[in-house]
Amino acid sequence: MRVVVVEDSALLREGIVALLAENGIDVVAQADDGPGLLRIVDGHKPDLAICDVRLPPTFTDEGIRAALEARRRHPDLAILVLSAYVEPVYTGELLAAGDGGIGYLLKERVSEVRTFVDSVKRVANGGTALDREVVSALIADRNRSGDRAELEALTPRERETLELIAQGRTNAAIAREMVVTLGAVEKHVSNIFGKLDLPAGDDDHRRVLAVLAYLRATGGG
Amino acid sequence: MSNHGNEIDLRSVVRGAAFVPSLAILTALIVIWAATGAGYFWPMWAALGLAIPTALWYAVRWARLRPKGATRWYAMQAAVSVVIVCTNLAVWAMSGGGFFWPIFPAVALGVLLALNPLFFRPDQRKLEVRVDELTRTRSGALDVQATELRRIERDLHDGAQARLVALSMQLGRAEERLADHPDSAALVRQAREEATAAIRELRDLARGIAPPVLADRGLVAAIEALASRSTVKVDVDGQLDHRLPPVVETAAYFVVAESLTNVAKHAPGANVRVTVHLDGAMLVVEIVDNGPGGANPAGGGLTGLKQRVEALDGRLEIHSVAREGTVVWAVLPCE
Repeated sequence: MRVVVVEDSALLREGIVALLAENGIDVVAQADDGPGLLRIVDGHKPDLAICDVRLPPTFTDEGIRAALEARRRHPDLAILVLSAYVEPVYTGELLAAGDGGIGYLLKERVSEVRTFVDSVKRVANGGTALDREVVSALIADRNRSGDRAELEALTPRERETLELIAQGRTNAAIAREMVVTLGAVEKHVSNIFGKLDLPAGDDDHRRVLAVLAYLRATGGG
Repeated sequence: MSNHGNEIDLRSVVRGAAFVPSLAILTALIVIWAATGAGYFWPMWAALGLAIPTALWYAVRWARLRPKGATRWYAMQAAVSVVIVCTNLAVWAMSGGGFFWPIFPAVALGVLLALNPLFFRPDQRKLEVRVDELTRTRSGALDVQATELRRIERDLHDGAQARLVALSMQLGRAEERLADHPDSAALVRQAREEATAAIRELRDLARGIAPPVLADRGLVAAIEALASRSTVKVDVDGQLDHRLPPVVETAAYFVVAESLTNVAKHAPGANVRVTVHLDGAMLVVEIVDNGPGGANPAGGGLTGLKQRVEALDGRLEIHSVAREGTVVWAVLPCE
């Protein structure tokens, strides 16, 4: 797996590179601004670009704009955005950029090393990784608008499972996180898809997309 | 109110008390004049003597109704001058006319009256200059404050928060390596969780200053983000070709955010139209809904908005008509 890292804080950038190296992920290039991201993506053709939102020269949403442009140029490129904050506008734009290979995590998630490395691998392989705060914002939006009854019909365990699916976790990861058997997770999943009337799919990835489409339906607009 | 009433009562008593004896004295004098042969009508001099204090009393009272300060002093001088000139005219007429001497004091008083502004108006001009200066420095101070807040927000993200993230990441890596020493690993995990909590607190702090999308992309993008997350249907019509001062952006943003929250709360079925445009150097923001109306402009949220807008020398008006809807209209100068 070939990864590039774009982050303007040298301390953080080098830390991420070291952390990924320790876990067998090869960082082929680094940059510290938006134009740099496009340059190294064009030059190294990586599988995944990990980038910050606020980057020089503008220190606004440079990272998001550069990542979307890189994705437009290289549709196979997976993108994992590490952000200091949750901004629904940005997650919406990333999710709209194509199905899969998209991640948006708060920066501090890098400290949960194993989960972070899992997310990196999943996104690089075309999966999704959404921060739990992004997911709770989506659920809050969905809850405020339209039909509350559907989400309220879920049991607390099903609801927890729904959030983990939306974050992009696999059944095995969900079972680990909730400390239940794989069979229990599968049962929750089929209940959720039944109650929300979502198209069932065997594929983890299509399942995430279905849940996200549901959550963003009336809320995200 | 009752104090005010008492004051007026007291005055009319005083006035009455002054009038009754005056009239009595005058009547007595006229009777004496008639009894002594009705020659030269001398009681008129006594009438004049009584009229002067009465006229002065009215003149001063009239002047006291003028606005405080230079204007009141000017009115006082003018009123007293008029009484003096009238007295002189009366004396001249009563003493049989002849050489029109009252012209001299009248001219002198007129000149003094004309000179008055030179002595008192400088104060007023100074005040006007001061008001100008305060208006300018106040909006300057607010602007500096908003700019500083944005800088602090950015520094929180890029400085303190980046360091804390790096710290928590190192702790996370250490935790991984301590897999064989669960006690030490637990300590490191606690430290990592503390660092993560500090990062979350910094993030909440920064968000309270301005939402990231407002700082990053400006007012229209931030309003569109509000509209897309609102539970009511919102159309946004706005085009600004340049960024506005942060203080104006933030105030306008909160006007729209609060208004949309109010619509969602009180008129969940309504449609809303938000328009944002520049009219010269003024930013005009209008939020119109077709809800049931009846918004209370003195409500807590709206009062807070009004203060926020007025602090920038802007204006905020709310028109709410039952069964027709509510219009919130704000104008903000953005020099």
